[in-house]
Amino acid sequence: MTLSRRTMIKIGGAAVALPLLGSTAFGQAEKLKIGFIYVGSINDNGYNYAHNQGRIFVQDQLGDAVETVYVENVPEGPDCERVLRELAQQGCKLIFATSFGFGDSVIKVAAQFPDVAFEHATGYMPAANVGLYNARFYEGRAVCGTIAGHMSKTGKAGYIGSFPIPEVVMGINALALSGRRVNPNFTVKPVYISTWNDPAKEADAARAMIDQGIDIVAQHTDGPAALQVAAERGIIGGFGQGADMSAFAPDTQLTAIIDNWGPHYLASAKAVIDGTWVPGNTWEGLKEEVVEMGPYNAKVPADVVADAEKVRTGQIDGSFHIFTGPIKDNTGVERVAAGVVMTDGELLSMDWYVEGVEQPA
Amino acid sequence: MDLTLAIIVTVVGASTPILIAALGELVVERSGVLNLGVEGMMLIGAIAGFVVQFHTGNPYLALLCGAAAGMASSLIFGFLTLSLSANQTATGLALTIFGTGFSALAGSSYSARPVSLMEPLFPAELAAHPVWKVLFSYSFPVYFSFIMVVVIWYFLHKTRAGLILRAVGENDQSAHSIGYSVIGVRYMAVMFGGAMAGLAGACFPLLLTPQWAERMTAGRGWIAVALVVFASWKPFRLLAGAYLFGLVMTMELYAKAGGGVLSIIPSELWAALPYIATIVVLVLISLRRDASTNAPACLGKPFLPSN
Amino acid sequence: MQFRLEKRQEPSKFMAYATPVAAVALTMIIGAIIFSLIGYDGVGAVREIFLTPLTNSYKWQDLGVKAAPLIIIGVGLSIAYRANVWNIGAEGQYIVGGLCATGIALLTWGMTGWWILPLMMLAGMAGGMAYASIPALLRTKLKVNEILTSLMLTYASVQLIYFLIRGPWKDPMGIGFPQTRLFSEAARLPTIIPGTIVHLGVPIAVLVAIIAWFIMSKSVFGYRMRVVGAAPHAARYGGFSENKTIWLAMLVSGGLAGLAGMLEIAGPFQRMVPGFPTNYGFTAIIVAFLGRLNPLGVIVAGVVLAITFVGGEVAQTTIGLPNAATGIFQAMMLFFLLAGDILIKYRVRRVMPQTSTEVA
Repeated sequence: MTLSRRTMIKIGGAAVALPLLGSTAFGQAEKLKIGFIYVGSINDNGYNYAHNQGRIFVQDQLGDAVETVYVENVPEGPDCERVLRELAQQGCKLIFATSFGFGDSVIKVAAQFPDVAFEHATGYMPAANVGLYNARFYEGRAVCGTIAGHMSKTGKAGYIGSFPIPEVVMGINALALSGRRVNPNFTVKPVYISTWNDPAKEADAARAMIDQGIDIVAQHTDGPAALQVAAERGIIGGFGQGADMSAFAPDTQLTAIIDNWGPHYLASAKAVIDGTWVPGNTWEGLKEEVVEMGPYNAKVPADVVADAEKVRTGQIDGSFHIFTGPIKDNTGVERVAAGVVMTDGELLSMDWYVEGVEQPA
Repeated sequence: MDLTLAIIVTVVGASTPILIAALGELVVERSGVLNLGVEGMMLIGAIAGFVVQFHTGNPYLALLCGAAAGMASSLIFGFLTLSLSANQTATGLALTIFGTGFSALAGSSYSARPVSLMEPLFPAELAAHPVWKVLFSYSFPVYFSFIMVVVIWYFLHKTRAGLILRAVGENDQSAHSIGYSVIGVRYMAVMFGGAMAGLAGACFPLLLTPQWAERMTAGRGWIAVALVVFASWKPFRLLAGAYLFGLVMTMELYAKAGGGVLSIIPSELWAALPYIATIVVLVLISLRRDASTNAPACLGKPFLPSN
Repeated sequence: MQFRLEKRQEPSKFMAYATPVAAVALTMIIGAIIFSLIGYDGVGAVREIFLTPLTNSYKWQDLGVKAAPLIIIGVGLSIAYRANVWNIGAEGQYIVGGLCATGIALLTWGMTGWWILPLMMLAGMAGGMAYASIPALLRTKLKVNEILTSLMLTYASVQLIYFLIRGPWKDPMGIGFPQTRLFSEAARLPTIIPGTIVHLGVPIAVLVAIIAWFIMSKSVFGYRMRVVGAAPHAARYGGFSENKTIWLAMLVSGGLAGLAGMLEIAGPFQRMVPGFPTNYGFTAIIVAFLGRLNPLGVIVAGVVLAITFVGGEVAQTTIGLPNAATGIFQAMMLFFLLAGDILIKYRVRRVMPQTSTEVA
């Protein structure tokens, strides 16, 4: 290496400046470039697919004012750091990192690009130019749980999780709490499969639970495999996760929790264009339409739909919160006193199961 | 009782693709060739099978095309390692990288598109009772896999062609010197292995979960490779091994779903078990000092005629 | 008219250097054609994957960081493969090395001192060696094929990570996510070029390759490895024990894989996460072959592979090439290279039909 440190910096600086020279003009007419990184494939029919739909929504809404780019299948680790820098260096002024495991990389890269706005989904580490965003999926689970509580004949639902992280624990608890509002004997059986995307294993997990008495299946993994098994076995039903999966199981999907990231992405993009972006910490749900419910299946009885709608609208107008005490954990200890609503902080670090959830292995 | 029967049905589903892929690899390895591209060939078979099922709805054609696609991809491996004597380990790994990339690219427009599962081979009335269900509720590939165990055993041990194949795997130089085409035999074996891997891959969308997802075989090709070693290159042991592996993969989920004693075993141990068991078996068979149970002598070595 | 392969008296030096270059060039040409035919910007794909990372100086740091572990593991593997010892479980040895280094980092968490990093380095190498000694032991004592055992052990090691970070090593502040806590300052590799991400592992990789080249070409050890690999029978007459060579080959390749694991965990990762296994151990097999099992060649090959990874991401954002294309390009490159291998030991002769039947 004969380059001195100064020339290195100069070359680096030139490279950073290059893309700017190529763009139309400085100032008002400059197109906002927005980068998205996904941990999986945009064709996963679930989580990453939903984020990519959000990107397409922003592109459609803002048209020529923005240019969106994405990188899929980004491993969580140093590769992510490199991709983030690549996007920032290409001129992206707003970057969405859509997986929890990208957190460390976002913090590192954000420090190197103070003029770029970063937003990290489902994370917990904010910074001067790093905002956090998440969705209250548990609100959707409460709607699903209401349907499950009414419709399950065995009073048992299965829940396929990836890893026991608070996000997943929260969802299981919301399903159990809402199911037990309707049917006090309703129980939820969680099974963790230690992967986000292994369709055959998801399917076998669903089979294992159905063979042992559940008749409703919910899942927190990325694809429709469990729903397809529910259809194959003819149990009462299941729920779509991330996206409307009714194409995969038209008679079996009772409703779906749809991740609708589009409005949030649009709001952030507009804020950056207007120069009003500040790092937020948003946790939006049904009310803001970041979480939406899919169509109710025709086989869900009208009174059940009505009750589910009550839960849905109650969460929108703020009259109903599923995590309202009294809540006991599954060892019988009261964790939340009557009338008390769990704080967001408590929810986001939830590591215990409510009454009615079988302790998973 | 009903639960036991239900578990058996799930185990059969989990075991069938690894059994089919491993049977193919067994024949390949018996001819002295180590093809580590099973996972890649399975993925190519899976996408080919999915696409054909999606467009024609004919599962038999889908299986056939899955097998054909697997065989075509194995020819890349065959040409490099057999005609050009390239290193088998590196070529096999490259084939897996290729298969992963190719299937993802070919399948990119097939997401969010379900297909229908393959229908059971026997009429539903036969499988109405739970006990008969264990025997008659499966579709064609399950019965095919059992038949192939017998066919491959018969071929290897009772036919002249099988004898030649084993001779090529045990001592390629002498097989060559008495006039057999070592390369020709190995080509046939590699193509057969590719077809079986492709068919096994096609079982994923047709039998297990009727959709296409990138990397949907999720490492089962490597389990198939482990299985061949576990079975010490014998078809009937392979059958037993495949069902043991399938049982381990499935019992984890049943144990977790049902609670009870087995559920306290960490899932990591369940997942590592097939591989650890394979190493233990390798050690055990080598301790017996019985030459016939050991790996084909020429396994993984390129053939270059010495004269 | 027919073609016939004829064994060369000596392996062709020219072909040894020319075939990797030709493989890369062919990949670029055929890749461009194929991707154009299926409706992508084929020329753009080749440009972004192979050239942009090189021409954009801002990407050089990424190439260094991505290539470093590939080079370190690739050097170890090339030494083992020279000796005909087929360790394909470098991924597992890399993982165990990373785990051992993580163990030290967690034990010394909150402490300061210059000794922590060297200790982690030793632990990483020791871990990789220990994991590689299992196939070595089985091969030397029981004649068990090391390809199979080292591969099986890799899959077991991945599960070991999951077990540790989900249980005993879970970050107390990580709100339940399966990962360890962030290492303290003393357990992180220093950055050597300020303002970049180039960490100490990058010069170490180059140093390892140069030392390995020197040893392999100038020392008795290197001679021994090469002789055992090329002519096992001659080696036995020459007094070189085959078992000892197997042990040496496995320990060197395992130790280097473990070192790479330590450098990755203490450099870019700085904590153990489920995404730690990124197939460096398998990719390094390609690197070793592309580098012609020569430590200096491995440096070049490591950089070429790094280019395709980095360029593959560039191509996704600039021309919308799917991620899967990177794998296809890498596989093609290896296919062409392996196909070209035969030209080193053989030459192609054009022969008339009648002469060819006589020969056959």
